[in-house]
Amino acid sequence: MGVVAEARARLVWPRPLVYGFAGFGALLGALALQLKAQHIQRIHHLGLRLDGSYSLAGLVLGGLGGFAFLVAGLLAHARRPDNRVGLLMVLVGVGFFAEDVQLALDGWVHSIGLLLVRAADGFLVHLVLAFPGGRLATRPLRLLAGLAYAAVFVLIPIRALFLDTRRRDLPKPNMLMIADSDRIVHGLGAVYDAIGLVVALAVVGVLVHRWVRAGPPGRRVLAPVFVTGVLGAASTIASPLWLELAWAPRIVFCLLPLAFLVGVLRVLLGRTAVGTLLAALREPMSAAQLEAALARTLGDPSLRIGYWRPDAQAFVDGDGRALPPITGTGDGVTLVEPGGRRVAVLVHDPALREDGHVLAAATAAAELALENQRLTAEVRAQLAEVRDLAGRLVTAGDAERRRLERDLHDGAQQQLVTAALALRTAARRLGGAAEPQTAALLSAGVDGLDAAIGELRELARGIHPAILNDAGLVPALQALAERTPEPEVRLRAASVPRLPAAHEATGYFVAAEALTNTLKHAGARRVCIAVEYEEGVLRIEVTDDGVGGADVRPGGGLLGLRDRVTALGGEFVLRSDPGHGTSVSAAIACRP
Amino acid sequence: MTRVVLAEDAPLIRDAIAGLLRDGGCEVVALVGEPAGLRAAIADTRPSVAVVDIRMPPTHTVEGLEAAVDIRREHPEVGVLLLSQYLEAHYPLTLFGADPRGVGYLLKERVSGAGELVEAVRAVAGGGCVLDPGVVALLMGGRRTGLAVLSEREREVLALMAEGLSNAAIARRLYLTGKTVESHVRSIFARLGLPEEPDGHRRVLAVLAHLRERPFQGWP
Repeated sequence: MGVVAEARARLVWPRPLVYGFAGFGALLGALALQLKAQHIQRIHHLGLRLDGSYSLAGLVLGGLGGFAFLVAGLLAHARRPDNRVGLLMVLVGVGFFAEDVQLALDGWVHSIGLLLVRAADGFLVHLVLAFPGGRLATRPLRLLAGLAYAAVFVLIPIRALFLDTRRRDLPKPNMLMIADSDRIVHGLGAVYDAIGLVVALAVVGVLVHRWVRAGPPGRRVLAPVFVTGVLGAASTIASPLWLELAWAPRIVFCLLPLAFLVGVLRVLLGRTAVGTLLAALREPMSAAQLEAALARTLGDPSLRIGYWRPDAQAFVDGDGRALPPITGTGDGVTLVEPGGRRVAVLVHDPALREDGHVLAAATAAAELALENQRLTAEVRAQLAEVRDLAGRLVTAGDAERRRLERDLHDGAQQQLVTAALALRTAARRLGGAAEPQTAALLSAGVDGLDAAIGELRELARGIHPAILNDAGLVPALQALAERTPEPEVRLRAASVPRLPAAHEATGYFVAAEALTNTLKHAGARRVCIAVEYEEGVLRIEVTDDGVGGADVRPGGGLLGLRDRVTALGGEFVLRSDPGHGTSVSAAIACRP
Repeated sequence: MTRVVLAEDAPLIRDAIAGLLRDGGCEVVALVGEPAGLRAAIADTRPSVAVVDIRMPPTHTVEGLEAAVDIRREHPEVGVLLLSQYLEAHYPLTLFGADPRGVGYLLKERVSGAGELVEAVRAVAGGGCVLDPGVVALLMGGRRTGLAVLSEREREVLALMAEGLSNAAIARRLYLTGKTVESHVRSIFARLGLPEEPDGHRRVLAVLAHLRERPFQGWP
């Protein structure tokens, strides 16, 4: 499922509804401010002591905080209609003002206000838990929000039924009261406080957990709310100690909607980054650069790109190397499938999903570059496969040669030895009884068989010398030098460990073929075979002082050597200027 | 009588070789076809000589060589004669090590030669050293300009020394007197610049070391 489809699947709240709530909240706010002002005036008039929340400054700050939630919520909704955070912020504003409705003098309005004295708390808990994605992602979160709503909109209204507000400093009738019971009021109040404590602790736990689990992109979004939350908590604890800080919690409350807004609108910063990405993509870039650019744009250093190989039905990295299978399409996996055709996959911090727009925009911007890199990666992967295949062909060819050599020794040669033995035994049994001619025939037969055995041995040796497998490259080269009568062959060998069979065989055949060429064409007086293994590279060089002028011809032995060395990912160099001797060298990387 | 354990996995050849050994007056005390059986038979029968095929199960590469090296280490009193398909200096020199006494390396086809096998078994049983003439010829290949200082006769004597023959045996082989052989030997050692060694395994070692060109260690 692509990013776009994912976004479409989310519920988009109808704009008029959100605007309606905000408008209602604004009216309620005006009413609340008026009621509060009236309330302060009356308290002042009666000469009662003002508590902090009913001072003029409290009135102004409270009004600012409430309207800030309404406005910030509207902005958040306008920017990201698919995200419920905007709506929840508006509702917190509405709830905040609704809490002051109980200040009304009118009996019924006052009584209804009593039902709503904690309205903001429920929405605030929901907002904090749903931030920044707007969804309550897990069942425990939904239960927690449900508990808060139940306390605020069930427990408090029930309590209101037993609340006698006529006995307050500013007596007002509670039209909803069914019984005046301090016991029930206090009991429900205690239950409410207990639930409040539990919910508060749980919310703190959830937030700390989120912060700890979040990667850099997640923290980028969470940070403003976290900083404001920590400031609020700190100022709430500190304000009783220093009177100068008494207003700090209220100021922080006013900042809270801004913090939520910044968190939600970090998407705008992301959009700027997408613009930068678009500009950067004009220049050709490597797979690693593209990955780095996308990681920078999305603020997620952990981001990795996999490219789709349709022929292998698997993802590979930019160099064409196979990636571990990517299972499912969790929040940390985004498939790039323009027009339903799979191009790549981004594996990233799941928090990027909260910025679905940026993810979609960045992915769309990089589509062409991703497709280019996909083609490159596919070609690289195929090239690597061809190279592997060539290596396997060489290895398989060697195994076949070795098998042939063994078959010759164990089959034909054994038979010849047995036949020679039989003839010899027959000759001995006949002894002096045989005619001289018969004895000569038998003797010729044995000699012929011995010659055949010798030729068969050299044939088997040419196919694949057993000593190469039994003792390694240097002893095999030494044996090669030993059995070359003319010209003088010298072997210079640094210590070479045992290497994979294909590499030892390639080293050997480079020397053997070069030596054969020298013997046939060069007219050399001296040949030097040098072999060394250093820093993971096997080097072998055959140099002669002959006539030079050798070249790699189709069908020639040197071409076969070059193919063989290249198949193992090595380098083959022929230097043979006329009159300056010939040098054949090969360098192949390999591990013992 | 020379007591022999024969290790060879091809039954036809094994039976033929056993027949040759018996005809030659040896007692074949055990016939085995793989390395574990060989080791057990050596421990059980304590033969004078073990005749071992270089290729044996399970991989048919150098199991026989490894078993032979083990026998030489664990039972120094048992002579070991390796039968091999390989015309290479590497295998016999690996087997001989620093002590070519009671040890031999013969190409397999020599078993059909007149008496060569039995002769070699006797030499090994007597603590001597036997190296196949084919391998010696390989080591003495014409490319070694160092040997050009020797006369043809001296080269013949050198080859027979490398094969492990004593002065007396060389004299018999070349129809020479003992004194003539001794003077050839002295001349050879002098011309090759080698310290003279008495007639014995140390001489074989010195000759082989000279003939075997070792690879240079390191770059020029």
